[in-house]
Amino acid sequence: MRKQILFLFLLSMAFYTNAQTFNVSGIVKDASSGDVLPGVSIVVKDTNKGTQTDFDGNYSIKELNTNTILIFRYLGYKQKEVMVTGPKLNVSLDLETEALDEIIVVGYGKQKRKDVTGSVSIVGEETFEVLRPIDATTALQGTTPGVTVNLSSGAPGAAVNVLIRGVSSNTNNQPLTIVDGYEGNLNSINPNDIESITVLKDAQAAIYGIRGANGVVLVTTKRGKRNKGATVKYDTYTSIQQTTRKLNYLNATEYALVLNEAYAASGQSLPFNDVSQLGLGTDFQEQLFNNALLMNHNISVSGGGENFRYFLSANRTDQDGIIAADNSNFERNNIKINFDVDITDKLNFALISNYFTTASEGFDNSVLFNALNYSPTFGLNEDDTTNFLGIELINPLNQLQNTFNKNNGNGLEGNFKLAYKPIDGLTITSRLGYKIFNERGRTFTPIQNYGESKVFNTLQSSVYQFKQTSTRVVLETFANYEKTFAENHNTTFTLGTSVQNDLFDGIYATGINVPNNSFDFADLSLTDPFNEQRSLNSGTSDVRLTSYFSRLQYDFKGKYLFSGLVRRDAASVFDKNLRVDHFWSATTGWKISDEDFLKDNKTISFMKLRASYGTLGNLVGNNLNRSFLSGEAEYVFDGALVSGEAQGGLPNPLAQWETAVKLDIGLDINLFNDKVAIVADYFEESRENLLIQNFPVSGILGSAAPGGANPTVNAGTSKNTGAEFAINYNAIKTENASLNLSYNVTYVNNEVTEVAGGAFLEGGSFAIGNLPPSRMEVGQPIGYFLGLQTNGIFQNQEEIDAHPSQSALGATTTSPGDIRYVDVNEDGVIDINDRTNIGKPQADFFMGFNIAGTYKNWDFSAYLYAETGREIVRNYERFLPNVNKPNYYLGRWTGEGTSNTIPRLTNDATNNRLFSDFFVEDGSFLRLQNIQVGYNLLPNTLEKLGISKLRLYTSVQNLFTITDYSGFDPTINGGAIGAGIDSGTYPSARQFIVGLNIEF
Amino acid sequence: MKNIYKTIAFTIIITTSLFLTTACADEYLDDPKIFAIDSENFFNSEQDYYNALIGAYDPLQSTFINVLMGEIASNNTLAGGESATDVPGYQQIDDMIHTPINTQLQNLWSWMYGGVNRATYIIEFEDKTDFEGKEIILAEARFLRAYYNFELVKWFGSIPIKPEGRFNVGDEKTIPRAPLAEVYAYIESDLEYAVANLNYTAPQVGRATKGAAEALLGKVYLYQDKFTEASNIFDSVINNGGYMLETDYNKIFEFQGENGVGSVFEVQYTDIQGAGFGCLQCSEGNVAVGFQGVRGYTGDSFTSGFSFNVPTQEMVNQFEVGDLRKDVAILDIEAWAATTGATFTTGFEHTGFYNRKYIPRKRSTDAAGDLNLTNPNNYRAIRFADVLLMAAEANNRKEIPNDTKARLFLNRVRARAFGNTNNEITVGGAALTAAIYQERRVELVGEGHHFFDLVRTGRGTQIPGFTPNKNEVFPIPFEEIQFSQGNWEQNQGYTN
Repeated sequence: MRKQILFLFLLSMAFYTNAQTFNVSGIVKDASSGDVLPGVSIVVKDTNKGTQTDFDGNYSIKELNTNTILIFRYLGYKQKEVMVTGPKLNVSLDLETEALDEIIVVGYGKQKRKDVTGSVSIVGEETFEVLRPIDATTALQGTTPGVTVNLSSGAPGAAVNVLIRGVSSNTNNQPLTIVDGYEGNLNSINPNDIESITVLKDAQAAIYGIRGANGVVLVTTKRGKRNKGATVKYDTYTSIQQTTRKLNYLNATEYALVLNEAYAASGQSLPFNDVSQLGLGTDFQEQLFNNALLMNHNISVSGGGENFRYFLSANRTDQDGIIAADNSNFERNNIKINFDVDITDKLNFALISNYFTTASEGFDNSVLFNALNYSPTFGLNEDDTTNFLGIELINPLNQLQNTFNKNNGNGLEGNFKLAYKPIDGLTITSRLGYKIFNERGRTFTPIQNYGESKVFNTLQSSVYQFKQTSTRVVLETFANYEKTFAENHNTTFTLGTSVQNDLFDGIYATGINVPNNSFDFADLSLTDPFNEQRSLNSGTSDVRLTSYFSRLQYDFKGKYLFSGLVRRDAASVFDKNLRVDHFWSATTGWKISDEDFLKDNKTISFMKLRASYGTLGNLVGNNLNRSFLSGEAEYVFDGALVSGEAQGGLPNPLAQWETAVKLDIGLDINLFNDKVAIVADYFEESRENLLIQNFPVSGILGSAAPGGANPTVNAGTSKNTGAEFAINYNAIKTENASLNLSYNVTYVNNEVTEVAGGAFLEGGSFAIGNLPPSRMEVGQPIGYFLGLQTNGIFQNQEEIDAHPSQSALGATTTSPGDIRYVDVNEDGVIDINDRTNIGKPQADFFMGFNIAGTYKNWDFSAYLYAETGREIVRNYERFLPNVNKPNYYLGRWTGEGTSNTIPRLTNDATNNRLFSDFFVEDGSFLRLQNIQVGYNLLPNTLEKLGISKLRLYTSVQNLFTITDYSGFDPTINGGAIGAGIDSGTYPSARQFIVGLNIEF
Repeated sequence: MKNIYKTIAFTIIITTSLFLTTACADEYLDDPKIFAIDSENFFNSEQDYYNALIGAYDPLQSTFINVLMGEIASNNTLAGGESATDVPGYQQIDDMIHTPINTQLQNLWSWMYGGVNRATYIIEFEDKTDFEGKEIILAEARFLRAYYNFELVKWFGSIPIKPEGRFNVGDEKTIPRAPLAEVYAYIESDLEYAVANLNYTAPQVGRATKGAAEALLGKVYLYQDKFTEASNIFDSVINNGGYMLETDYNKIFEFQGENGVGSVFEVQYTDIQGAGFGCLQCSEGNVAVGFQGVRGYTGDSFTSGFSFNVPTQEMVNQFEVGDLRKDVAILDIEAWAATTGATFTTGFEHTGFYNRKYIPRKRSTDAAGDLNLTNPNNYRAIRFADVLLMAAEANNRKEIPNDTKARLFLNRVRARAFGNTNNEITVGGAALTAAIYQERRVELVGEGHHFFDLVRTGRGTQIPGFTPNKNEVFPIPFEEIQFSQGNWEQNQGYTN
């Protein structure tokens, strides 16, 4: 009865209020933070009437009745329907917490994740918080399907290579990196400033046209929030780093015995007549590696007022190297300013700015090579004065003492942006992106003498100094227009243009005779002004690019999705008649779960099928169509060196960019109320017109003359086919505990489908006197290893006699204990034509397995990463009679039946050191990249101190690596032709970290 | 309403600016500032021609590898080096084993073609700009092109040629290996032009002279057994060139003997610039010298090297008693160490002998970079003694022999060698031919000529491991055969 009365009362009220209309106004805010929300769309239900909030979150709608229902829609927030009860209506919107409603940037626009029709991966802030990468790129490893991250070296500050869906180009495979709209680099950004990284992997990236073929990494940095007081965060951590591995080499006694055996086998007198006093000798690796410190401090302040928001941060990273910390270290400082202000309610201005400085010291990679190969019978700082080890090996510790260099850089990057919203749904954005990087370096080479004739000796001291500046300016203007027609037809149209200019300028100089042979005086101004070897050089480049693009996104009821785009690019680096191209793509999606037959399905909470197809470009090379007089032309006339002109690199008038044709078919499924999320993709990419630098050409073209170079040629096609699968399982999500498990795996199969002229390209190098070991050849994966196939060791003369002759390989005699090679082509002789595919540098499968959990105040995470199906060439052994050797030689063949894998030792010429699978190892590995435990101090106690959060954590990076590879580090790779050849590269560090996060 | 106008105005401005950038954008691409000289835009002044000529001379310095390998290929020396696997290319050439992998042979091919193209570059643009004295530069360019092509034909036999200009990408698939006669005709015509336009005195020391062109042309004739033509042109060099035999044989190979009275053509080197193994052809020094130095040497007069190209006892035995040249050409390291107290280590195939003409001398403090790669010893490419011996051979072997003249030339050389005239050759005919051959071997030992003298006179089998009708020339580099994609056949007897 009471219910009925109430009902009648309400009904009468309704009639009453219905009788009059009034204006409604209010402010829309974020329910949790209280931030005002600009641009919220407000529609009067069942009408076309509507408006938007201004930059301060205010709205007003005229002539409404009571009982009218207003629908508030805002990207990233739950839609809310509110009944109008009076003239003042303030509304708070709740964030969509579901991942599907996450807003992601897709290049000149944004989309809800559930509406995305391309193949996209996202790495959020939380991943950076856990992984603590020095270089933000490394956080993509194992967390994003389809993305591999290779270190060029474990040295502090070393370059990181990112590959999206495998190697396609042998010139440049680095994806385009866009930071808040400007083209940047991940290595200059403070990882703490990153809010999220979105990786565009398929043809959707065609909006970036000629730059998009290697995939696009879109970085969004943190912003402040409007109407919110300052939040101060301080994060710091310290880590102790050590090498993940040392190689097992012979000690002095083992070494001397092994050498004696080799000498004896060649009938030479023994180098060590008494080995009893040698003991273990010097372990040069042990001397080289040290525990090294890494420190990181980060402070940020963020907040905002009614018309503005800001995010400011400062960061310092200081890393010592695990080898010779005095000679190998890296330092980076960042200052970040993100600032937005509303000039009017339709005009917004934003400034994004990142200033950074870097400083580094490094040493020549030959230090490690020397440490491995130098004889353990030598004392710590003992030079090989008698050339016992040949002229190319020197004491690595003395070498380090003569290493002096310092490189410094500073840069400013960011953009200014004006966004103007003249009418509902239309946003015109104009932005000026810039990136300036100044670098200067100084290398001092003292007078050095490591013994007679050593190639490292220098008789004169010299100093090399350089300064270079690269500048990039990009002016972009584009308009986005969003409109819903007839309620169900949602469209977004984008039209824009971009003009880009990359400038480079460098000056390089060398001065001779540094006073006092000391780094303290290593400056050009102090060197000998009349020395003829004093040199001065410079380099410059100017690359220009103009582009236009247009995109249409359309969906019907959010269920059937479609987008199409086209971009025109023109690049100054190519011939005038060949410099323009058009790129395009089409993507489509179908949200099957929105169909009636799945709408209320208990198991499947979301399901979308999507497909994309299109073309993209890879802009590599500069002025390839021209030949400049940059060759070396120096000769002696009248007893004095004279200098003239000669052609440098050979031109290729027909040079163009590379083109990728990409297909992706994907399926996104969420199960059990989104507890389980699965993303699966099949992809194909054909990279056509592959630009090959220094394309090997016949010697008759003269490119081997001093200072010459081979041309860059569009000479091939490679095809990547593969699949990605990622599953995320939110196993537990309660107030006290959470547990998330995720696994992703990517399979990539690369095949070269065309090489111009039908032949192949080769590259890389193995030892000395071997043909290049890596090839690009039709029907084979790019950069595969071509070498001889071994079949054990000849145990006796009968076996040799029964086998085809191996003398065509170079060494005319084969003896028991030598490697038996397979007559692959079965022509009855073993020769160079028996070389075959003995491995490839790129993995078939790469995968990540990640666990993250919390329990009360504790949190825990572990990140595992694995690669399988790849090989590495062991190329850090120097084949000279007296150098030290890996200890596998202890298991060498010494007589019939002793070994069927490791050949005999001898100083005679043998064919055992030809490039064969004996030197190729399985490079598969599983690595625990990070394991971390954190503890949040109890909030109650902290609040009194004004601290909102205080977390302590400890973690270990690279705790263990499971691999059969015997070299330093199986993760080291990079490049295409010539990749996967390990000449003794700097291993990655294991880090023991303790850290602290405080928030005020 | 005002707001709407504002909005429209603003939209128009933005849209217009958007399309304005569009309109001018492509022109914006037309003139990037690159500050570089384009190769096709060159040759606008005398200086440009002169500068390009320096560029064409530069690859002469890379002929160190021709000299070093040529000597190793002969029966004068062994490869040596540190071990049996030190520079496998040299070891293979020494042993007459030719696998398709021979980086050094590939280098020789590519470096000589580098020289050919640089010389042709000038000739291709010969008509672009006129100035007084241009014919001298053009004649030098032709001399250099002939020099490089002659090296190629000596090593590889028939080679692809393109007289009209530089080779372009794709030519390797279409331009065949020209028949020997055609290659030689091409070389001869370049040298004839050079002879006609050069003077006996060069504008600068180090540049080619008429004498050098005549001597090289004579040598080219000799390699084709055109003895009459050869003897005529050698007469011209001998009578008009103004050359004399340097009295002191030892002085020739020391720094003070460089570009001396007996030097017809000399490849110039200096040690004031550094060098590296990564680009041996870029060195301004004589790389062969460091390679031939005494391993681990410390002591008087010389500095150490890599102990390649070590003379054999058999070679040392070729010197007659009283031949003053022996101690100049051959360093007996054991004897030298015993008298001077020098120390040394031994390398692979140690014979105790070194090619003393071209081992590293002690250097000034100005010497730069890697000492072993920057030795300043000029290579005496064509010596007057060589010319005399070639003239002797031509006179002795021509259709109507003139043995008197041949003996006269031969004995001039011998008189210097012995410091007296008591060792004159008096025989004629075939015996004289043999005497001339023998004299060439000892006079020119260590200078890279002997292998080619042997094969051109059909005496290749004197070299251990030599297979007739095969080893007269070296295999075309494996890579080149592949680049040509069937256009070039491998040399007779070699397989790929």
